[in-house]
This record gives sequence, C-alpha cells and structure tokens, in this order.
Amino acid sequence: MTVRIQFWSYFKELTGCAQASEELPPGATLGDLTARLHARFPKLAAMEKSTLIAVGVEYQGREHVLKDGDEVSLFPPVQGG
Amino acid sequence: MERSLTLSPDPIDEPALVAARRMTGGMGAAVYFSGVVRRSEDAQPIAAIEYECFRPMAEHQFHKLFDEVERRWPVESVRLVHRLGVVRVNEPSLWVEVTAPHRGEAFAACQWLIDEMKRVVPIWKKPIA
Repeated sequence: MTVRIQFWSYFKELTGCAQASEELPPGATLGDLTARLHARFPKLAAMEKSTLIAVGVEYQGREHVLKDGDEVSLFPPVQGG
Repeated sequence: MERSLTLSPDPIDEPALVAARRMTGGMGAAVYFSGVVRRSEDAQPIAAIEYECFRPMAEHQFHKLFDEVERRWPVESVRLVHRLGVVRVNEPSLWVEVTAPHRGEAFAACQWLIDEMKRVVPIWKKPIA
C-alpha cells in the first residue's frame, strides 16, 4: 500500500521536502512508517520524542494501523497564539 | 452554542469584532483576549512572526475544542480569530471571545480554550528578524 506524508514547520527543512510517499506492507503501523522515515531522513530521527503525527485530521499513536491512501502528517509541537 | 472561527491573513479588526457582539438577555459576561506579537522571541529581537497552519486539521481541532467548551461550561458563544502569514510586532495574532452568564465560566472557558489551542491546533510560528 502507498501512504502520502506531509511535513510541516521546520520538519520541511529537516527533510528537505514538504511531501513524500512510502510503500508499506498491509498491516503496517505508524511506528513502521516512522522507522522507515527516520532511516530515509536521519535529521528527523533526532526529533522523534517531540514529533506529533496525524492521519488525516486526527492525532494518532505509533500503534495506529495504516490503510492504503492514508495521508500522514508529521510536525513539531504546535505554537499557535 | 454559537461559534465563529476565522483563520485568515487579514489584520484582526478588534473594534469591528467588539461591535459585532451579540448577547441574549441571560448573558452577564463577555471576556475577550487579544494575543499580540512581542518584539523578541527566545531573547532575540524580531520584526514579525510568520504563522503557518495545516488548515483542515486546525479547523477540525478547533471545532473539537469548541465542542468541549460547550460540554464543560454554559457558554453562549465563542468567537476565535487567528491570523496567518506574517504578523508584525505590536499587531494581534489571536483574538478569542467567550460570552456566558457569569464571569467565572467565561474566564475559565477562554483560558482553557487558549491553553488547549496551544497544545493541539496545528499552527506554527517562525520568527522574522
């Protein structure tokens, strides 16, 4: 299955791109995806503890099982106001 | 509960927002907060802050917070304006108003909403020197 990834805020600088995609096996979780992304974008791995992850418009944890076509967003702590 | 959410690059027009307030007879409190860009960020002087927003998620998360405000307090209305893009020092980036029967719930709901916004709504700021 294919999932699309969007990076926000300074994560775009860390990865050098705003969007990416990954091919994952059925049943893969967000944890599987982030492991793949950390290997692909090593600077992102250093931010692992503070990274927030959403699928669509909802926050999800690393155990969340992905579906084909999911849109995943990775970003640093939010700072509105 | 009436709710209004505006995420826009346009300047926040506080007098117009205050003039547009509508309250029914049972409401005794209107609390509003204006967040203004300071002239320094992390002890460094800045000229402005640029706000970036993941809009569909931000709107969704704001409405979830409004739902929770409605569950927790007898609030009649919430209006929230967050400016996006470049906001210069001394200009407001955030305006939040809560109307309720009494000041206690109005202050509490306004404070809670802003605190939670800073925790879950995907908006980020980038200082501009």
